Amino acid sequence: MGISEPSAPASAVPAPVFAGTVVGQVLPMYFVGDESHSMSGDPIAAVNQGLIDLRDEVAKHPLIGKKVRFGIITFADTAETRLQLSELSEELVLPTLAPRGRGTSYASALEALRQTIPADVALLKGSGYQVHRPSVFFLSDGQPTDKSDKWRARLDELKDPGFRERPNVLAFGVGEADPDVIRELASSPRYGFMMTSGASTAGAIAEFASSMLNSMVASAERLDRGEQTIEFEKPEGFVQLDAPLL
Amino acid sequence: MRPGESAAASPVRRRLRLARGPMTIGEPAPSIEPRLATGEPYRPDTIADGGSAFGLIVRAASVRGLHKRFVGGPRQDDLCLATHPASSTLIAAVADGVSAAPRSDVGAALAVRYAAAAVARQLDGEDPVDWPDVFEQAAWALVTEARRVGDDPSVFATTLLVATVCVAAPAPEDAVAVQVAAVGDSPAFRLRSRHYDPLVDSRPSEDGLIGGGVAALPRDARELMVGSGTLEPGSALLLCTDGVALPLAGGEGDLARALARELATPPDVVDFARLLDFSRSTYDDDRTLIAVWRPRER
Repeated sequence: MGISEPSAPASAVPAPVFAGTVVGQVLPMYFVGDESHSMSGDPIAAVNQGLIDLRDEVAKHPLIGKKVRFGIITFADTAETRLQLSELSEELVLPTLAPRGRGTSYASALEALRQTIPADVALLKGSGYQVHRPSVFFLSDGQPTDKSDKWRARLDELKDPGFRERPNVLAFGVGEADPDVIRELASSPRYGFMMTSGASTAGAIAEFASSMLNSMVASAERLDRGEQTIEFEKPEGFVQLDAPLL
Repeated sequence: MRPGESAAASPVRRRLRLARGPMTIGEPAPSIEPRLATGEPYRPDTIADGGSAFGLIVRAASVRGLHKRFVGGPRQDDLCLATHPASSTLIAAVADGVSAAPRSDVGAALAVRYAAAAVARQLDGEDPVDWPDVFEQAAWALVTEARRVGDDPSVFATTLLVATVCVAAPAPEDAVAVQVAAVGDSPAFRLRSRHYDPLVDSRPSEDGLIGGGVAALPRDARELMVGSGTLEPGSALLLCTDGVALPLAGGEGDLARALARELATPPDVVDFARLLDFSRSTYDDDRTLIAVWRPRER
């Protein structure tokens, strides 16, 4: 038996949060990746392969693909939105990340997130979706080239409790990244991860990408509960930064 | 057919084939063959119950969500119905086990049963139901089970919503008195003329996003919300878990309209479960619903 009904008349009353016809629930997730020159070669190739695998795995899952929206923002001396928040279908054309620019501007990446997220959430809500708190996977192999007060100011804006759509941020440091900075970026101390010293950067990135995929699946599976925390397990070859490093 | 009427009184049109499949609302969810949940204790995919008591009609169902059917996990929602004949009271409880808690299926099953029993014991006395005590007892059941199996009580974490519908309690215009109490986000509504009035405050999060954590037994037994109301003839009390409440969207969406129409009168027990097992893309959590009607006088 199917249900079809004439659409409801438009109401003049201000809409409560979930009023109107809801079409589904979605979890926005963003990959924010370092595209600075130090990522050249195997590291950036590992990122690109990881994104392809992520798309393919999610697209073929019967339940997850409809519940996740994925966006890609990259940064070097500037930030660029390389993939607007999208459904991960087999047909989705992914950008190929390539090293560019001279800097590693965390400030521009954080500012791009602060601008993009509320706009994306508003768009989803406007289309009738119930939206879960967004998650960000932040990956860098270097240290911010901005002045520290500048990127910290952008970070404070992103973490501001008054920012309604503030995301859960999981931060991953590889290569020359600074563990203290990575820990600071993460929205919870247990969301900061640093590659173990001496490991291969490209190998660590591959592990990171596989963990991002697992997190996406696990989080989307448990969406309904609406728990604040995002499902995530530490990737191989990383240490969790919730305790100060010795 | 009304309760008490005999089947012979109204000729039943013989159906040669069973109508199969779920009611679809909006974009359908994928159709999959569920994997049996094989854990201990036995947790059936679907339970359905119902009947009449004290002139009330009740229907209750709990169905496993599509995600658990896909992975073969147990249903983590549960429900319990009980009566207290001396006070002409129907007791109903639903629980939604926290998915991150590994044995929340057991937690939900224990919480509804112990809470219903605690309410019945209290009704043996003359005093009004002591809700904090009911929830403490349900929480204690989880803590006791945790000790028995040598686990942390948090592995049994579950929401709990309990209601009493007392036919003997005086209320104007042939209405009956309803009390509801809850820890966590399992809401109760009164469905009247296709409108859903919340009976316990289950407001959406202030920032307009879904989530923000959930209160659960045994840890948050003191975060108790209590509400009360009346059930007029022709209206229904609805107790549900998040898996229904989220797509119900505050009583405004397609599902809310479909449920209001289908629940205008009590469906039979199996149809009620079928209704609850509607197909809708992205809503794949366990679903539990108890509906209690105060029928109009014949």
